[in-house]
Amino acid sequence: QNRTVTGTVTGKDDGLPLPGVSVVVPGSTIGTQTDAQGKYTLRVPAGTTALRFSFIGYGTEERAIPAGALNVALTISARQLGEVVVQGALGLNRNRNQQSYAAQTVSGESLSATRSTNISSELSGKVAGLEVRQSSSLGGSTNVVIRGAKSIYGNNQALYVVDGVPFSNGGLNSASINQSGQRSGTGGYDYGSPANDINPDDVESVTVLKGAAATALYGSQGANGVILITTKKAKKGLGITINAGIGTGSIDKTTFAKYQKQYGGGYGNYYDDPTGYFLYQDVNGDGKPDLIDPLTEDASYGAKFDPNLLVYQWDAFYPSSPNYLKATPWVAAANDPSKFFTRATQNNESIFITNANDNGSFKLGYTRDNQTGIMPNSNILKQNVDFSGSYNVTSKLTASANISYINTVGLGRYGTGYQSDNILNSFRQWYQVNNDVYELRDQYFASGGQNTTWNLSAPFNTTPIYWDNPYFIRYQNYNSDTRNRYFGNVAANYKVTSWLNILGRATVDNWTQLQEERRQVGSVGVSGYTRRNLGFTESNYDLIASADKDLTKDLNLKAVLGGNIRKQRYQTISASTNGGLVVPGIYAVSNSVSQPVAPVEGDQQRELDGVYGELNLTYAKVINIDGTIRRDASSTLPKGANVYYYPSVAVGFIFSNLLKDYKWLSYGKLRGNYAQVGNDATPYSTIDTYSIGTPYGSSSQTYISTTKNLPNLRPERTQSTEAGLELQFFNNRLGLDATYYVTKTKDQLIPVSVSTATGFSSTYRNAGTVQNKGIELALTGTPLKTSDFSWNLGVNYTRNRNKLIETFNDATGNPANNLLLASFQGGVTLNATLGEPLGTIRGSNYVFLNGQRVVKANGRYQLSATSNEVIGNYNPDWIGGITNTFKYKNFTLSFLVDMRKGGQVFSLDMYYGLATGLYPETAGNNDLGNPSRNTLATGGGIILPGVKADGTPNTTRVSNTVYGTYGYVYNPNAAFIYDASYVKLREASLGYSFPQKWISGLGPVKGVDVSVNGHNLWIIHKNVPYADPEETLSSGNLQGYQSGAMPTVRSFILNLRVKF
Amino acid sequence: CKKNLTDLNVNPKSPTTVPAAGEFTGAEHTFANILSSASVNLNIFRLIEQQWQETTYTDESNYDINTRPIPDAIWNAFYRDALENFEQAKKLGAADPASKVNNAMVDVMEVYSYYYLTTTFGNVPYSQALNPDNLFPVYDDALTVYKSLLTRLDADITALGSGTSSFGAADLLYGGSATQWKKAAATLKLKMAITLSDADNATAKAAAESAATAGLFTSNADNMTFAYLSAPPNTNPVWVDLVQSGRQDFVANTVLVTTLKSLNDPRLSFFFTTDANGGYSGAAPGASANYSAFSKPSTTITQQTYPGLLLSYSEMQFDLAEAVERGYNVGGTAAAHYNEGVTASITFWGGTAAQATTYLAQPTVAYATAAGTYKQKIGIQKWISFYNRGWDAWINQRRLDYPVLTAPATARTAFPVRFTYPVQEGNVNGPNFTAAGAAIGGNTVTTKLFFDKF
Repeated sequence: QNRTVTGTVTGKDDGLPLPGVSVVVPGSTIGTQTDAQGKYTLRVPAGTTALRFSFIGYGTEERAIPAGALNVALTISARQLGEVVVQGALGLNRNRNQQSYAAQTVSGESLSATRSTNISSELSGKVAGLEVRQSSSLGGSTNVVIRGAKSIYGNNQALYVVDGVPFSNGGLNSASINQSGQRSGTGGYDYGSPANDINPDDVESVTVLKGAAATALYGSQGANGVILITTKKAKKGLGITINAGIGTGSIDKTTFAKYQKQYGGGYGNYYDDPTGYFLYQDVNGDGKPDLIDPLTEDASYGAKFDPNLLVYQWDAFYPSSPNYLKATPWVAAANDPSKFFTRATQNNESIFITNANDNGSFKLGYTRDNQTGIMPNSNILKQNVDFSGSYNVTSKLTASANISYINTVGLGRYGTGYQSDNILNSFRQWYQVNNDVYELRDQYFASGGQNTTWNLSAPFNTTPIYWDNPYFIRYQNYNSDTRNRYFGNVAANYKVTSWLNILGRATVDNWTQLQEERRQVGSVGVSGYTRRNLGFTESNYDLIASADKDLTKDLNLKAVLGGNIRKQRYQTISASTNGGLVVPGIYAVSNSVSQPVAPVEGDQQRELDGVYGELNLTYAKVINIDGTIRRDASSTLPKGANVYYYPSVAVGFIFSNLLKDYKWLSYGKLRGNYAQVGNDATPYSTIDTYSIGTPYGSSSQTYISTTKNLPNLRPERTQSTEAGLELQFFNNRLGLDATYYVTKTKDQLIPVSVSTATGFSSTYRNAGTVQNKGIELALTGTPLKTSDFSWNLGVNYTRNRNKLIETFNDATGNPANNLLLASFQGGVTLNATLGEPLGTIRGSNYVFLNGQRVVKANGRYQLSATSNEVIGNYNPDWIGGITNTFKYKNFTLSFLVDMRKGGQVFSLDMYYGLATGLYPETAGNNDLGNPSRNTLATGGGIILPGVKADGTPNTTRVSNTVYGTYGYVYNPNAAFIYDASYVKLREASLGYSFPQKWISGLGPVKGVDVSVNGHNLWIIHKNVPYADPEETLSSGNLQGYQSGAMPTVRSFILNLRVKF
Repeated sequence: CKKNLTDLNVNPKSPTTVPAAGEFTGAEHTFANILSSASVNLNIFRLIEQQWQETTYTDESNYDINTRPIPDAIWNAFYRDALENFEQAKKLGAADPASKVNNAMVDVMEVYSYYYLTTTFGNVPYSQALNPDNLFPVYDDALTVYKSLLTRLDADITALGSGTSSFGAADLLYGGSATQWKKAAATLKLKMAITLSDADNATAKAAAESAATAGLFTSNADNMTFAYLSAPPNTNPVWVDLVQSGRQDFVANTVLVTTLKSLNDPRLSFFFTTDANGGYSGAAPGASANYSAFSKPSTTITQQTYPGLLLSYSEMQFDLAEAVERGYNVGGTAAAHYNEGVTASITFWGGTAAQATTYLAQPTVAYATAAGTYKQKIGIQKWISFYNRGWDAWINQRRLDYPVLTAPATARTAFPVRFTYPVQEGNVNGPNFTAAGAAIGGNTVTTKLFFDKF
């Protein structure tokens, strides 16, 4: 006969209830966990005499069942802290004592708390050593770099591994699926980072392996660090979890432009009417010329606003407009472009069903996430189906399979970079502040979807000249995309003996994406349609034997011998119309004015065959020695040089186990390691090829590739040295993990930018050494803990110093002192400069005299002789994050403050926008108290701060009547470099768990939680005007540049979780 | 493991070898585009020569060559896109029995490319250029390079007289005719000789005289023109920049318009459209301009298929006129060559021989009575004839010093008499870049180049 046992579990040290303690009937699968109050209720079969209580960090206790309640007080076990199982490379579990390298784990709970669909951005500020840069674009990509950029031109993105299997984040070597132009700011759409296909609701935990020693077994692909994701596993007994969330978002106005409200459209006073500010022709047919806004002009250096002045503006030339052929008051728009942004929405639902018994387990999940963005007509729908099952075929053989299907459908992603499809380019750089966006919206719809632009070619000629109606762009020139992804594996695990295990596994990660981009007839430029098909497949075949044996009472051996075959293939094809669309609105390559040019095809293949081994010895739980070696054979290196070996060795000293008398020291470990990792080349870097161009009539045209390949490439090598200290004090109330590391990446396989007088833009070389040195600190603490209240604190600090310490020598034996990474609009370049961190920004600078800016005789700034001065660098001095979690009874409040100190960004938005007079800075009063935009004769103009060539203060007043004074026309690039530091309240979450007594009446319901979560709530500090310093072009090595930056979206989501 | 793992490393989509003819076709196309382009990122010489003026975005009209950056674009276009592919055409065609003649054609185009590089920048990489094994090519002395180019042309002229080519229709300039190419090589040699005349009169004289006997162009029919097609991407780049883009960037420049008007030049209507008042007007150099108010480049030159003129019978006659004035033995009188040059230009643009006669009869135009020295007379007329060929106009105007073009008050720098070296060269070829700047007397736009003595 069954009976019910109840009781409370507390901690012996503080007497507080312990939630989550496992309570089981020994020798059976019958069990439960304690609730938030440390209470449990368990029905046990007849004849049960005892229960076993266990909890991480505490000693396991087995107690006889008394007649009444069974209350237990568990003792903290410092010894057992070292037994905490942590994920390691290849999904091999190691306990903490056996892990002699830096790794940091974040629980899935804390990641999914804010209900973001982007797993990468959720890691920002939570892991020391990890730098995340995210774009504010809907579904945009995320740049994730661990311990600094190691490769000058190659991929620096962390490797994502899901349950032991690599998860693709892009093409073959590139971690981005975006076009190269998108990454360098010349336009295009941001199609996001494929790693974000991972379903946050299915994540149990994330472990970040930072150094080469931790990742050596992954081979070259692990050289940039690994983000190990463990998905949720079925627990015994049926479990059903349902999540439902609904959210909304709007722009953070501190990250969007503020406009001056005093002067309207135009570049100055050189047009037709007597004042020079307006076009001047008869509009209303009365035979007299009328004032017309200079419609072609995308600047706001026009006439001073005056409500009594009636001017024919853009809306006077559309018959569908209420102001058709009507002059309207010359005033600033009631609705500036900040009103263009709509409210973002999010709907997120997921259900997971799991069960497990002695014969096996299964998990089935479905997640649907639908988001609309802050731009009209934008939407991303992501659906995940996850299934996994395992079956114990015999007591020794377990077979398992899992498969995830992920479908992502995007519509109306935001245009990026310096291009007319990026509406923000107009709003931040080229605009007339008298344009009312609500009128533009109303006119777009009233005209039946025509391009009713404000930027007409001429009065009565409504052909757009430089900018389309922004609503026309959103509703007509939209892109769309669909990605279908299958990710899964089949595996068999054979437990040969109690200490030897063999795993065989075949995995596949396959995704295909269709990207379609449209430009309607009537748009600026040439109408057209482009479709791009991308297909990626990676297959991995693994055979891993692992042993775990206590050789003596004190000596434990863990050993691994494995082999891996990895095959990758990335195929792309891109086809476009040529010369425009014949029939408006039909988006097909065949609908082309001229014969379409041949589609551009790509087909990259790579195979890497690796064998590896590991020996891990632990003596008396005090000393741990770990050694690995791996041999890789790569398809992308020349025959004879394509096989390479690399070792790692790591030592750990758990000194706390020798200091058991010091009760305040819960745990202490010193660790040190050294590792090498090899890396192969991008496919096809060894043989020169030609490209075949569009035929010229009947004559073919070909061109040699602009990159010169090298037949004798060698593998690239990363050497990493790391020392760390782990300390836990006062029964784990305080913990510190500190790491110092030095990484050198040598013989970099890089397409070196060379003088094009060589006939090529770049040539492959084994050249250059990049060093990264850094400190990572992770502090955890529980400053307060009472029976009802607890306060947990987590602090992460990262300081990385990146430096190019070696390049290659020129003919005279001198090192090349600069490697060009990219040239941007605005005449600035991004570089790797010898002796400096990767990512120096070069451009024109001021000329300084005694620290003062020199002003020329004409009153404008003197510019440096070359446009090649170092004016900035995007690398931060340090980054950090502070997480606070407060629990009071059933309430949980947590928030994350995320910060970055230092690093610079060049703003093309300010470079142009200050020139065209959009911002308040351009329309203030001068030192005389007069409007600076008045002519010099009427007391206008400004005196630029600085000194004359002779060192005396500048006294020359320059005109501010026409465009340019504050912007690019007269000022060096250095004037538009801003400090990219920030302090942000990144996220906050308030949750409430329904007490057990409330839900005990709800039948099968085991738990109900509600939470409200906020993201990007407050930028506490920043120095970049009108933009988020974090906003970036895309993922990749090109950072530190903004053009048409998206404002930051502040979002809230309300979530309900029910567990059965 | 596997036997031939590295066999995977062959790109299935890109060939490792192609026919030489395709490289020649592609490179000719690139060369023609560079010189025909009106892109503010590459070819801004119509603006510098005050033929056209920008309307709103007046940076390039005010000599801002760094913001975009234009020197880098020119460097890349000639070295990487044109010259390297011409070199490939030579390499790939080595086994062709006709390679001697083919390579002479290719070589003429390489020489012509270097002509623009040396006259734009001064010292440039030459002896160590186009060699990817040397990542840091030195900059050779411009005059030395230039003389070497003349020697190459001699060899090319000889080779072109020695047989036939196998390029055929792949040669988009002369359809593979060695005879035509021989004339073009000689005409180019004359052009280069005259460009050198102030700097090295002896070399110039010898080269001009030998060119004159080698068989020059005999009419506009011999012009080196690139026949653009009607469909992108094979159209005239002017159409792309001015029409297809939908932009309103350029209007006529008042300097050219005023000159043409004062001379009653019949080409005015072929060069520009009429303005809002039915007449012809241009905007002031460097100043912001209201697009609707002024004449624009004519619809003739903004057609998709408007051919790119690369070397003309008209400029050759002006070269001969100048040769006569300099005492070179090239036959004819300066006045006769001048008249023929003017007539060839007017008829090329669509005027009649009668219009040319009337025009030449005016005292302001007639060689005997037009104002100034031969440099001024020829300078003005050559500048007009180089309408829409800003690059050549710039080279000649700097040397002859006519017409006198004044920098706008708003200009960023003085009138550029050369272009600065590309910024990227400073980054990737620093020591040679610095040495070259020092060797020519400073890497600025005001350093006069080797051929520009006055």
